[in-house]
Amino acid sequence: MSPFWLSYLPLAIILSSLLPGLIIFTLKEQQVKLRISLNLLGVTVKLILVLIMWQAVKAGDIFYFSVPFLPGADLVLQGDALSLLFVVLSSVLWLATTIYAIGYLENSPLRSRFFGYFSLCVSATVGLALSGNLVSFLLFYELLTLATFPLVVHRGTPQSLAAGRRYLAYTLGGGLLLLTGVALLHSLVQSPQFVPGGYVSAVVSEHSGLLQLAFGLMIAGLGVKAALLPLHGWLPQAMVAPAPVSALLHAVAVVKAGAFGIIRLVYDVFGVESMQLLQLAEPLMLLAAATILYGSWRALAQQDIKRRLAYSTISQVSYITVGVAMLGPLAAVGGLVHLVHQGVMKITLFFCAGNYAETLGVHKINELNGAGRRMPLTSVAFTLGALGMIGIPPTAGFISKWYLGLGAVASDNQLMLLVFVFSGLLNAAYFLPIIYRLWFLPQRGSWPDEQRLSARLETHWMLLLPMLFTALLIILMGLFASTGISPLSWAELIVEREFSYD
Amino acid sequence: MMILLLVLPLLSALLMLLWPRIAPLLALFSAAASSLLALQLLLQVAEQGTRYWLLAGWPSGLAIAWQADTLSCLLILLSTVLQLLVGLYAFATRSRDKLSQGFWPLSTLLQLSLTALWLSRDLFNLYVCLELLGLVAVALVSLSGRKAIKPAFNYLLLSLFGSLCYLLGVVLLYGAYGLLDIAGLASQWQAGWLSNSALLLMSLGLMLKAAIWPLHAWLPAAHAAAPAPVSALLSALVVKGPLFILCLLWLQLASTSQAQAMAPLFAAAGLAALLFGGWSALRTPFAKNLVAYSTVAQLGYATLALGLMLTFDQPLIFAALWLFVLAHALAKAACFLAIGEMSATLGGKRLTILKGASQTMPLAMFAFAVAGGSLIGLPPSGGFLAKWALLQGLWLQGEQLFWPLALVFATLLSAAYVFRVVVLAFDRADPVAPDFAPQLVPQWLALLPALAVWAMALFSEPLLLLLRLEAL
Repeated sequence: MSPFWLSYLPLAIILSSLLPGLIIFTLKEQQVKLRISLNLLGVTVKLILVLIMWQAVKAGDIFYFSVPFLPGADLVLQGDALSLLFVVLSSVLWLATTIYAIGYLENSPLRSRFFGYFSLCVSATVGLALSGNLVSFLLFYELLTLATFPLVVHRGTPQSLAAGRRYLAYTLGGGLLLLTGVALLHSLVQSPQFVPGGYVSAVVSEHSGLLQLAFGLMIAGLGVKAALLPLHGWLPQAMVAPAPVSALLHAVAVVKAGAFGIIRLVYDVFGVESMQLLQLAEPLMLLAAATILYGSWRALAQQDIKRRLAYSTISQVSYITVGVAMLGPLAAVGGLVHLVHQGVMKITLFFCAGNYAETLGVHKINELNGAGRRMPLTSVAFTLGALGMIGIPPTAGFISKWYLGLGAVASDNQLMLLVFVFSGLLNAAYFLPIIYRLWFLPQRGSWPDEQRLSARLETHWMLLLPMLFTALLIILMGLFASTGISPLSWAELIVEREFSYD
Repeated sequence: MMILLLVLPLLSALLMLLWPRIAPLLALFSAAASSLLALQLLLQVAEQGTRYWLLAGWPSGLAIAWQADTLSCLLILLSTVLQLLVGLYAFATRSRDKLSQGFWPLSTLLQLSLTALWLSRDLFNLYVCLELLGLVAVALVSLSGRKAIKPAFNYLLLSLFGSLCYLLGVVLLYGAYGLLDIAGLASQWQAGWLSNSALLLMSLGLMLKAAIWPLHAWLPAAHAAAPAPVSALLSALVVKGPLFILCLLWLQLASTSQAQAMAPLFAAAGLAALLFGGWSALRTPFAKNLVAYSTVAQLGYATLALGLMLTFDQPLIFAALWLFVLAHALAKAACFLAIGEMSATLGGKRLTILKGASQTMPLAMFAFAVAGGSLIGLPPSGGFLAKWALLQGLWLQGEQLFWPLALVFATLLSAAYVFRVVVLAFDRADPVAPDFAPQLVPQWLALLPALAVWAMALFSEPLLLLLRLEAL
């Protein structure tokens, strides 16, 4: 491999989903085989490219690709350890979700449009992960908004259109706040590439007020997608989208984009020292802690499965923010690894919710009684995901909560420890009743709208396979957390690089 | 080369009158050739600096003087390229839309008057160009037939009144200084009641013609009544002519104290245009009126930038002003062509016909959405570039909070009206007739300027650099 070829690797990773997506838009509705092959081709190419990049980054390389754009702010794609964490997560889960979506949407109308935007959405997510400065990040952040909107309104019902409007109002508003913040910061220090330790320290003493303002604006902008407390209103409504979309929105694309942005902002733009000097970490942490408790509390009251999961997302994503805002290395490991773990667990739960809805017509929690007998595999996966969310060993969720707890102790944050314990209890309180209903309560009458999607299996194999794959990952990531290929070891690698800049 | 840019449209317009059967071909040919010439001129000027030219070798002061700087060249290129695109669109839809033969010579004359306007630096020349521009524009609006008579007549009266105000100002200045070219006047300029009133009179006329708030009321009716290609030209180019003169007057002629006194008024008018124009675009039930109100709102950005430029004298804000103009011209041409195409194919003027348009006419709807993205200012479109430059210019002035906030609010409004259409398009479509077959070529032609406005991002650095230099 020549270095010339390698410098285009970040671009190629984005194009591997963008180009198939653009071709899919032009396909006719009946060209099912061609569409599926294009999708799978894109996924495969992307995974291979990501693998190449992963090997190189592990060995210590960093990839750059830049195009001139604004004065002082080129469009930069940068493949470093942190971006790879998110890239790997989104590529692997894209594979799972694509297969799931093919099964889920079989014979429904407008599939070309759906898969086109689906690929666009993944391209935007990967672009966001790979963007090397704030301006490029902003670009993909907005692109993500635009690419997900058609997915949210895909069903075209009045309800989904209303949700779409609300989603747009929130995310475009957030994007604008981010834009203003980025422009303000750009006028102070330009927009150089993300670098461990940040690049604002030179002007901290001179412009502390403006820096705080810029940070506030950008957190407000990112907080919309990360569903931080007063800005979370779009998320439960966006549940009207088809199940693969909810899965993608919650586990990978939208909420994670916000959380990932916060990580970049804290570590690679402001840096730990400037964050401390400007006293920005404390308010962010408190806000995130409040979101954790609020999300869990609201989840308790929801009777719709997907809505309960949505509020759970609001709460769980803020774990990442809290881990980052504690500014300690151990807490950072917890936050970073939770980015991956939460993604895998939440996508499993959404796949399960989709399976219940598609196979049995079940949408409400009190209709789930006895579903474990009718759909054992789905219910096992759901149980695994739920136990992971609560944080029970040996699932992946335990690992992230363990490190977050350790981090709270290490940085002397008793309050956060209390928040974790209380939220864990709340998690148990809203997930365990579902598990109880699944396995231990007898079925109540017939299912609302049962369909036999497969002769031998409990449902269509394309709906089962991705779910089992991600459920297996939950266990594997927990059991093999200490090996070299686990997300935990990668998070430790990132933290090592982020905290050893001086 | 400059002279060729003027002679070519003039000659082809005359030939069209003699030989109406080949008028479309002539118009397209002249637009295409002019585009190439304009590109060459732009490259030349960017390399060698501003070029001056005196008509027929008369000495300066007597002769008609032309001046081609990079801004003029950019604007010429913009007008010729849009002329070509719109001409192609009109050609592709001529049998369906029953476009009058008069469109071809008139649009070529429009190109001539715009080119002459961008090149003139002499108050009387500018008046002549402005007058020609206004008359041609009115004639173009009236091409729609009987329903357009009333808006066209209103437009004519207001346009004449505007020109008259402007002419009165010119006469006052000529009486006092005996000079008409802007550079000469600026060197002898004295702030006083005479120059004050002349400036105000001229500004009144120009603001009326450029539909700057609160003198915009004629625009939505006139632009919505015209045929789609004409609305595209009017919104994209014609209103920019008077705006250009307004900028010349206040940035080059007016003294600092006069400029400072006027600046808050311009900024306030721009903000009001953004808010009221955006609000009206949100309320109107008609598709073309929505786009026309959006023009009023977007002109507000330019006016706001002019006001801020007069206050702060910051080259970046000047660059932002013209970036707004360039981005808006491309985006608005795409919007009008796309909306025109959709209402011609789906039948009807109301917004509700666009229900489900993302399924029935995906290409045209995509063009509208892409152009709308630039109107909102999503990165990396031309509209984003302009907004970025304006924000940077503002932040460089220190602790400015009001104007960035106002910009954010205005952007949200524009997002609201653009997505009002887009959300409607994602509704489930009503079933269409089995022989429903939208034409593809016009839809692609609508998409081209929309893509071009996003492609501006590729040239962002040279554009910003050229325009900033122009302000010094």
